[in-house]
Amino acid sequence: MAEYDVVVIGAGNGGLTGALTLAKAGRKVLLLERHNVPGGCATSFVRGRFEFEVALHQLSGMGSDERPGPLRSVLGELGVLDKLEFVEMENLYRVVWPDTLDIILHAERAAIIETLQQRFPKEKEAIPGFFELVYGFSMEMIQGVFFRDPAISKEKYPLFFKYALTPTQKILDGFFEDPLLKALLGIYWSYLGVPPSRMPFGDFAIMFFAYIEFKPYHLKGGSQSLSNALLDEFLMNGGEARFNCGAQKIDISNGRVKGVTTEHGDTVLTRYVLSNASILETYLNLMDPEEAPHNALEAYRSSTIGPSAFTIYMGFDCEPGDLGIQETTNFITTTTDMDKTFSLWKTLEQQDVALFTCYDVADPEFSPKGASQAAFVSLQYAEPWYLVPPHQYYDTKYRYADGMLKLAERVFPGIRDHIEEMEVATPMTHLRYLGHPGGAIYGFDQFAKDSAYFMTSTSPVQGLYFAGAWAGSGGFQPTLTSGRSSARAILKSMAKG
Amino acid sequence: MSLKDVLKDIEGYQEIGEEIAVLKKYGTDHSSQRGQVRKIIDLLHPGKLKLHVSEIIRETGSTKTFRMVSPDGYLPPFQAGQYINLVVETGGIVTSRDYSISSAPSQTAFYDITVRQIGEGFVSDYLLNDVKVGDEFQSSSPAGNFYYNPLIHGNDLVFLAGGSGITPFMSMIRETLSRGLDRRIHLIYGSLTPDDVIFGQELENLSRNHPNFNRTLVISNPPEGYTGRRGFITADLMKETLGEDISGKTYFICGPEAMYTFCEKELYRLGISRKKIRTEMYGPPKDVSEQPGWPASVGRDAIVTVSIKNGKSVQVRTTEPLMNSLERNGIVIPSLCRSGECSLCRTKLLKGRVFQPEGVRLRASDRKFGYIHPCMAYPLSDLEIQLSNAEFSGSQD
Repeated sequence: MAEYDVVVIGAGNGGLTGALTLAKAGRKVLLLERHNVPGGCATSFVRGRFEFEVALHQLSGMGSDERPGPLRSVLGELGVLDKLEFVEMENLYRVVWPDTLDIILHAERAAIIETLQQRFPKEKEAIPGFFELVYGFSMEMIQGVFFRDPAISKEKYPLFFKYALTPTQKILDGFFEDPLLKALLGIYWSYLGVPPSRMPFGDFAIMFFAYIEFKPYHLKGGSQSLSNALLDEFLMNGGEARFNCGAQKIDISNGRVKGVTTEHGDTVLTRYVLSNASILETYLNLMDPEEAPHNALEAYRSSTIGPSAFTIYMGFDCEPGDLGIQETTNFITTTTDMDKTFSLWKTLEQQDVALFTCYDVADPEFSPKGASQAAFVSLQYAEPWYLVPPHQYYDTKYRYADGMLKLAERVFPGIRDHIEEMEVATPMTHLRYLGHPGGAIYGFDQFAKDSAYFMTSTSPVQGLYFAGAWAGSGGFQPTLTSGRSSARAILKSMAKG
Repeated sequence: MSLKDVLKDIEGYQEIGEEIAVLKKYGTDHSSQRGQVRKIIDLLHPGKLKLHVSEIIRETGSTKTFRMVSPDGYLPPFQAGQYINLVVETGGIVTSRDYSISSAPSQTAFYDITVRQIGEGFVSDYLLNDVKVGDEFQSSSPAGNFYYNPLIHGNDLVFLAGGSGITPFMSMIRETLSRGLDRRIHLIYGSLTPDDVIFGQELENLSRNHPNFNRTLVISNPPEGYTGRRGFITADLMKETLGEDISGKTYFICGPEAMYTFCEKELYRLGISRKKIRTEMYGPPKDVSEQPGWPASVGRDAIVTVSIKNGKSVQVRTTEPLMNSLERNGIVIPSLCRSGECSLCRTKLLKGRVFQPEGVRLRASDRKFGYIHPCMAYPLSDLEIQLSNAEFSGSQD
């Protein structure tokens, strides 16, 4: 029977970086993926002359060659940087509320402060203070937590200890009066899927800080080019990958991983499994019920399945400028009440905040010459879609998409007439391709209680490790990083024997 | 003190700990959801379908409709215009073909597929001559991107059908008319002879009973004394039959290979923009060596060797799609669209060169890293490929 040092289940971001880290360390690795391409969320699909980016909007943590961010270092160590081309985005985002607000934040601290002070003169004094807190907090968190200062204490890192778990909304309320200003500063909350009233300030501050300092990045060829580069490097390092072939079962005996049986019915021996499937799928559907660790499952009782997404992918028969699209990242909103917006994610009612990303602004070669593409996305939970009878699914999907498109048309009138190709993805689409409960794109909900301060992704099953959003937090940078961390933990365990 | 212990000093930590304690008691029991994800997916997109032939309906001298039901009574929904990939085993070879569903999506009890005898149709011969009521098949769930999108296609539609290319349109027409949807459809349907017209009587009845449905038949090879329209689907014919606002309509084309290039050119002559034209993908061309870009230096029926990494080597013809050649040799790779579009068969090319006709929809980075779609890839030299479901190498060392 074939034997591997490690079997990696799932070729998402975490599975790919995990598999590659292990292969580079000389381990014999088998990577199983049930879909026909690597990437999970980090993928693309082709319609007509367009290749649509599925999930990546703004890559965080890259930084420049001169001032590399943490993700650039990770990708550098993995040996894939020279297979990829990155484009730095000058601006963080545009927030637009038709007839109410239209503002662009440059990805630079002083420029943001200036822009905001001009638009919100009454808040002029408070604005720099807010940024001082974001920066001060982030520096403490990097120094104290990321670099693991052994002398960490409340006295040494006062901002961190005071604000890490404070709701972001509370901080915004403390600084500002104008609800518009608060809404536009906190708009990245949709990248985490948690509204400002429930998002720990620590999560917000470090994300905001990192996007400003390391800039948002676009990846030429989209996220699929990253997935393909990681896979290529994995194969060049002797890794074996199987596509159209998921794992059926992890074989366990005496609480220790023994092997993996694939969907095709063949079994391989291994003492280590790195699962990039969701923790829940791994415990519930990839193990015999009597082998599934009851206590580990119980530990997730306090966690709930996070949001999925509803996306309209549009290929235009013209260039962005012809449609009045000047920015890559456009948050469209018609509200400042983000709690209400969050509650709408659990319904099929019309959403009032959504993100319109046009990749061709940052990268004019992204779509064919003379054409362009955009993704218009709102997060949404899968539950309301469970209640749609299957034979009404397509009608419901188009009706809902029509409402979304009308929202986009308020900012970009006339885009509908230029759509040459369109695809609509609902939470059911993500559920189908990812195989995650709820089609969740960021794993579990990421409220303060679900953070790494309280939860662990360590498994009581010997030899079983996790990578990806379910084992930490969602998004490209965290999931890419998590695969490498888990792989290192496996290597450490192997070294111990 | 460990980091974890120090973190307890964060303001609010205690309260959140208490919240977690309560939730541990009353929160979500995820184990109740064992198996749920698969069940939810299977309602819309099951990986495989089991189908039984419940009826065989003769449509024309060369065409039959196979009415397919599910043994468990449930068929997933589809969008009118989509197809299923039907797996067939004939002459000792396992292969598959795509057939558009001709029944309407609102008909949830069965899928109709309508099959016409074609010249050397290895699979259509088998279906038309050998298949009986009660026979069992496996298929994909419905797939494909040739369908009406209510957000962008408007409600003034022109269907250009050639021969058995009528089948996806039949589903769209039946759906629109049976549900009373607010869409106008004009079907222009080209056939070789009047006897080849499929669904002729039904189309006539529908056009008589529904003011929002018109049909124009055009016969390219009419018998003597034929009084109807003759010829092909030309710009002039469209100008004459479609009335006002020709450029505001959305055009859908489905038919034999030659029809696409012909009709598209005619539409461009009428000033129709690219985004108003939807075309169904079609499978391997009749003669790939006539495709633009085929290297003249490669013989039409030269034989080359394809080696599968960690597997066997087989001899194949340059003018047959790699997927079909592999199937002939008992090597079945996953297939769905068989038109180069869906990427299910995505395979890594390790050595050698292939020809992939224009229109094969490869991702840019797949092209860069040497992946091909074997359903529409023709070997131009000896090849080495890596199959994603090749034998494990683990036992070899």
